[in-house]
Amino acid sequence: MPSDPAVAPTSGAAFGEDALPFRDLQAAPSAQFEIVDGAVLLKGSLCRSSGSKAFPARRVCLDTGATDMEPILIGPRGSLYSFSTVHVSSARPTPYSIGYVDFENGVRVLAQVDVPAGATLACDSPVELRAEGDRWFVVPVDGKGLGQ
Amino acid sequence: MSEAYIVGAAMIPMGKHRESSYSGLAIPAVLNALRSANITPKDVQGVVCGHAFGGMLTGQRIVKEIGIGGVPVMNVDNACSGGATALHLAVKEIAAGRHDVMLVIGVDKLTQFGGGTLPLVAEDPEVQQGMVMPALYAMRARRFLHERDATTADLAGVSVKARRHGVKNPYAQFRSEVTVDEVLASRFIAEPLTLMQCCPTGDGAAAVVVVSEAGRKKLGLPAVRVAASILHSGSATAGFRNMLRPEITYHSARDAYEAAGIGPQDVDVVELHDAFTIAELVYYEALGLCAPGEAAGFLRAGKSTYGGDVVVNPSGGLLSKGHPVGASGVAQAVELYWQLTGQAGARQVEGARVALAHVTGGGIAGLDHGACTVHLLQAVQ
Repeated sequence: MPSDPAVAPTSGAAFGEDALPFRDLQAAPSAQFEIVDGAVLLKGSLCRSSGSKAFPARRVCLDTGATDMEPILIGPRGSLYSFSTVHVSSARPTPYSIGYVDFENGVRVLAQVDVPAGATLACDSPVELRAEGDRWFVVPVDGKGLGQ
Repeated sequence: MSEAYIVGAAMIPMGKHRESSYSGLAIPAVLNALRSANITPKDVQGVVCGHAFGGMLTGQRIVKEIGIGGVPVMNVDNACSGGATALHLAVKEIAAGRHDVMLVIGVDKLTQFGGGTLPLVAEDPEVQQGMVMPALYAMRARRFLHERDATTADLAGVSVKARRHGVKNPYAQFRSEVTVDEVLASRFIAEPLTLMQCCPTGDGAAAVVVVSEAGRKKLGLPAVRVAASILHSGSATAGFRNMLRPEITYHSARDAYEAAGIGPQDVDVVELHDAFTIAELVYYEALGLCAPGEAAGFLRAGKSTYGGDVVVNPSGGLLSKGHPVGASGVAQAVELYWQLTGQAGARQVEGARVALAHVTGGGIAGLDHGACTVHLLQAVQ
C-alpha cells in the first residue's frame, strides 16, 4: 500500500502516490472528447507553471517535466496543416485519411479526417471536430462559422 | 583522444532473403569486412550491432558463430538510425582510447513481417490514430506541393534518379530504370506518394571495421577518416512544426560540419535517408546541399547526380536498395568507404574525397524523428 505522501514523501523507505506508474493505457477514444453545447471538444492539458498545452491529456509537462497540469478543452475549429489518404497500413484497415490539425491555442493534433463524398481536402483549410459514438474525427467545413 | 578510421567494409546484396536468419544475413558481411581490413575475428576488441527487429542479443547471435566472444558486444536500437548509431558508438570507443579495433554491424530482416508498412509502436497515440511512416512523409509531400513551386513529377524525379544510380550497384535490390510516368502511375501507398516513391521492404546486413590511429598505422591499409560523427534525438512539441524544416537533421548537419571544419560545398558524395522521395528533397536543404526553397530546382538541374555539384545516393539509395532498418546506416558507410577508396566500380564518383552519410528515423508522436545521425568521412592517403 502506498504510504501517505504528506506524512512520508517518496524515498527509499516508503513511497507515495507520486511513485505509482501512470495508467496511461486506460483512455478509450470516448474519453478523449466531450460535447459542450453541441460542439465536440478535445480534452487536453495546460501546465500552470510553464503554460504549455498538449493533447492527449498529460500528467507531466512536455517542456519542463512539471506536474501541475490542469484540464483544458480544445476546438472545435482548426486548420488542416497537411493530410494523406493511406492505402497501405500496419496500423488500421485501409483506406483512411489522417491529417495534422492546428488549433487556435497552438496545439497540433493528428486526427482522422472524414471526407464527405465529392469533397476535397486542402492544406490550411478549416476543419471541425465531430463525434460518432465513441469516435472523434474532423471534417472539412466552409470558412464562415461553426457548423455547415 | 584518437581519430577513428574505417579500414574495412562489406555488405550483402539487399533483397528478400526469407531463408536467412539474422546471423545468416550478417555473417557474410562481417567476414568480408574483416577480410578487407586484413584482420581475423580474434583481433576484434569490441562489437556494436545496430538493429530494430532482431530481438534479444542479435549481435552475440552473429559473432558467436565466427569465434568472437568475451569482448564487449553492445546491441543498439535507434529505428532507422540504429546502424549509424552503432557506428557512432564505435567511433566514441575508439576516440576514448578504450579499444583499437571495433566491429560495427547493421542488420535487419523485414520479410519476417510479410510486407506492408513497418510495424510502429502500438502504444503511441499517433500510431493509434493511424500513423505509419508513409503517411508521415506523405503529409510532408503534400505540404511541399502546397508551399513550393513543385509538382508530383518533381517527387517522382527523385525515384528516377535513384533507380538510375541503382542500375550500376550490384548490391541494390532494384536494378532497372523507371520513368516519371511509371512512378506516378504506380498505386498509391499514402497519397500523394505512390509505390515507386517508397523504399521497398527487404533484408540486409552490412559491417565496417573501425580502428584507432595506432590500428591504422599497424594495418597500413587504405582508410577513411571519420571527420565527424553526430547523433541527435528529436525535440518534442505538442504544437506547430514546419514539416519542410526537419530540425533534427538541420541541427545534426550543422554540428557535423562544425566538428569537421568543412562545409557542404566541400562534400563530393552523399548517402542520405531517401526512404521516400520527398525525404531527399527536404534533406537537400537540411544538409545545406542547396539553399532553403531550392530543392526541386536542384534536382531538376541535375546537381545531385554525376556531373553535378554533389552525387547524392550513388548506391541508388534506399529507394533502390530497400531499407532493412538497422542495416541501412552501416550500408551507407560501406558505400562511402568504397567511394572514398576508389572501390565503387561502375558507380565510382571520380575524385571523391569527402563524403556525408545521413539517417534519421522513427515515427513517434511529437518529434519530427526520434534519432538522426550525420557522419562526415574523408579519404586518407
